[in-house]
Amino acid sequence: MAGADNTHEQWLAQIDAELDGELSLVERAALAKHLATCGHCAGARASQLEVRVALARSAGNPHAFVVPRPAIRAGTLALWVAVALAAGLVGGWVANHRWGGPGGGAPLEETRGTIVVQ
Amino acid sequence: MAPSSFSSVILVLSALQGPGTRLSYRIRVVEPAAVTPRVLASGAVSGPLDSDMRLTLRTDTAEVEALFQVTPFGDTVTIAGEFLTRRLVGRSRRGLPLWEEDTYRRQVRMPWSDTARIYPFGTGKLGQGGSPWVELILEREFAGGEARPAEAFDLVDSTRDVRLEAVVRPRRARVILNLVRGDTVSAPRGIDLIPDEPPRLIQLVLKGRATTLVVSLTRPDPARSARDRALARDADVVCLRVGPPDALQPLGTICGRLNNVARQLPLPTGDTLSATFAWPGPR
Repeated sequence: MAGADNTHEQWLAQIDAELDGELSLVERAALAKHLATCGHCAGARASQLEVRVALARSAGNPHAFVVPRPAIRAGTLALWVAVALAAGLVGGWVANHRWGGPGGGAPLEETRGTIVVQ
Repeated sequence: MAPSSFSSVILVLSALQGPGTRLSYRIRVVEPAAVTPRVLASGAVSGPLDSDMRLTLRTDTAEVEALFQVTPFGDTVTIAGEFLTRRLVGRSRRGLPLWEEDTYRRQVRMPWSDTARIYPFGTGKLGQGGSPWVELILEREFAGGEARPAEAFDLVDSTRDVRLEAVVRPRRARVILNLVRGDTVSAPRGIDLIPDEPPRLIQLVLKGRATTLVVSLTRPDPARSARDRALARDADVVCLRVGPPDALQPLGTICGRLNNVARQLPLPTGDTLSATFAWPGPR
C-alpha cells in the first residue's frame, strides 16, 4: 500500500483512513514516514484534522479535541481472538498433560506398594 | 535340566511335602506417630505350607488388597504379593468419586523368621510420611496332620478397616449329606472326599427307603472376575457332583464354601439332598 508508486491521491486516502482509525500499525508507520518528507500531505492532514474537529464540536461532541483512537478492524480483532483461543487451548492441554487431570501427583511407582526386608 | 535347577526343584518339593510342616504369617500393622509408631492391628495366619494370606487395608481415599504366597527354598523363603489397589483421585462433574485401579506384583527373598516390611501405600512421601506399614514374619513349624487354616487377629484401633484371611485350597473336604422330605430328615452321612478323585457310591435312607447316589468332589470353575481370580476368593469353594448310579448324566452340582451353610439339590425322587462342606479333621 505504501509503495514507491503511491500517488498523491492514494496518500490522501490513507490520511482519511488514518483519521478514521482504520489503518494498521504498519500502514500508519508508512504514512508517518511519508508525512515527514511530504509537506503537502502533512498540510492536507492538518486541514482534514481541523475540519473534523470543527464538525465534531458543532455536533456538540465534548471530546472533539481528542484525536480519535484508531479502531481495531474486525478482521484483525477476529485474528487476535483466534490466536488467543488457540494459545489458551494449547497451554491448557500441555498443563493438563503435565500437572492436571485425575490421578496426577506422585509418580506411579511411588504410590505402589513395596516389600522391604529388614 | 541344570544341576542347580534340579536341586532347587528337589528342595522346593521336599519342603512342600515335608511331614506336617505348617506355615505361619505373623503380621503387625503399624502407623507412624509423633513419638513411637503405633500398632493398629496384629495377628497371625497359619496353615499348610501352600497357604496364602489375603490382606486388606482400607482408608477413605485408598484401598489395598493383596494376596501373599510363599515359596520355600532351603533356609530362605520367597514371598510374592499380588497387589490390587484403588485410589480416590477426584470427583466427576456430577460429584461421584473417581477411583484409579492398579494391579502389580512384588516379591522378595528372605531368611525364615526375618521381618519384611510391606508399604501397601508406597514408599513415596505420602507412603512413608503418614500411611501405615505392615511388618511380616514368616515362620514354619512341624505340626503333624493338621491341615486346617487358622486365623488370629487383634484389631487395636477399631476405626481402621484392616482384614487378614488365610487362603488355603483344601486337599480334602468333609461332606455331610442328608436327604430331606418335608419335615423329615435322614441320618447325616459324613464322607471325606478328595477333589478330582473317582466318584464314590453312597446310600442314604429316608423313611425306610434307600437312595443310592454317586458323588465326587471337584474344584469350581475359575472366577469370572480377574480381581476375584487374583485374590483367590474361591480358594475354599468345592463342588459336589451328584449322579444316579446307573446313568452318566449327573443330577446336578452343589458348590459351597467350607464351614458354611448347607447347600441343597432337589432330586427327581422328590427328596432334597442337603450337603454341608467342612474342613476335615486331623489325620
